[in-house]
Amino acid sequence: MEFSKFFNSTIKLNIILIISFSISVNSFILLPNINNSFYVLFHLTYIYIIFYHYHYYLYIVALIFGILFDILLLNNIGAHIITFLSLLMLFVLLRKYLIRLSSFQIIVIYFITLVVLFFIEQFLANLIHNYKFNMSSIYNLTLIALIIFIPSVFLLIKLDK
Amino acid sequence: MAPKFQIKVFQLSRFVKNFTIISVVTLSFLLVFFSKTDYYLISGIKNLSSSVIIPITRFISAPVNVFSNFIDEYKQFRSLKFENKILQEEIIRLKKWQTLAIQNSRENKVLKKLLNATDNNLILVKTASLINRNDTIYSKLINLNAGYEDNIKINMSAINERGLIGKVIDTTSNNSRLILLTDPNLSISVKSISDGIFSLLSGSGDGKYLVSSFVKENKMPRLGDIVVTSGTAQIFPVDLLVGKVAKVEKNRFFVLPFVDFKNIDYVQIVTSK
Repeated sequence: MEFSKFFNSTIKLNIILIISFSISVNSFILLPNINNSFYVLFHLTYIYIIFYHYHYYLYIVALIFGILFDILLLNNIGAHIITFLSLLMLFVLLRKYLIRLSSFQIIVIYFITLVVLFFIEQFLANLIHNYKFNMSSIYNLTLIALIIFIPSVFLLIKLDK
Repeated sequence: MAPKFQIKVFQLSRFVKNFTIISVVTLSFLLVFFSKTDYYLISGIKNLSSSVIIPITRFISAPVNVFSNFIDEYKQFRSLKFENKILQEEIIRLKKWQTLAIQNSRENKVLKKLLNATDNNLILVKTASLINRNDTIYSKLINLNAGYEDNIKINMSAINERGLIGKVIDTTSNNSRLILLTDPNLSISVKSISDGIFSLLSGSGDGKYLVSSFVKENKMPRLGDIVVTSGTAQIFPVDLLVGKVAKVEKNRFFVLPFVDFKNIDYVQIVTSK
């Protein structure tokens, strides 16, 4: 009980961010979809934290994970850091409208935001660093997101109580 | 006194909040800008990520690694009997080849002496082992345990016993990063051995084949032709084995690389003489 008191939901969600980041940046040849799944889980958790636990420390979290994702996956800083910070700023601007939405509408927006994030990351990587736009990668991530979306959200809500 | 104190605290926290947000946004845009101009700070961050962050992420993802290794061992165990049979047949076949190779080697030595030819045009800089790989999402990158302290420089080529693996795109003191041939963002100039057709190859999206992005005079190589580096771009040394033509279409062709990119343990960093 004491242990669970120590780990409040924000800490738990941040631990999920760290674990999913670590697994997504280390490729496993025999389990390639594990990387993609944890990459999706990272984005899911990040959006969840922004939606339900918004705090300005998230700007620092976005900065750190953005830089690390960019360096480890693209070897250039740009796509992830801009996407993560833009999402945060967009949320601050639209927060008053999001509060009025029903739970179903929020879930739909949650999923759309997730897919749009993958798309924007690819687009920015193409725009800033001339990386080839890989549509099959977006399809793959969207398919994984479709599969793990409901269980992940259920898990996050459970952890969040 | 109490209301005044409350207002002061509120103002301070608001100031801290605004200051944090503005500095984070400014810093991120500066980092993006410096990333394009290759600033000293960026190489420092890359150095930190290679030496500190990668070991931490490897430690955290160790359980998945153990699970992956377990699956690998299980698969190997299941195919042991079948592999044994294949290996026995392979040994018989290789013994015949060995006899032929010894004869050819002797003949080669004699011919080289007659031609006064040098052995090859490569200098081995360092043999390094793989630390980790980031080749599933976005770029096809791998990290090695040798850096500029081992004389590894950017744009040096990486090979193994099968052929060309890729080139060095980043070095830190003790680590370096390679971009694999299968990355769609890397182009290499190649020629076919039989016809000498020059072309440019880059990775296809699936990470399995290399696809031609430019073919000189639109001459297509034949199916099964061996493709080697042409050395014309001055990045890769000449005549490094790349792969075999696996599919020819009207305006492009596909090459299956000789290197098994799923099983890279050690690589040799080489440069031209």
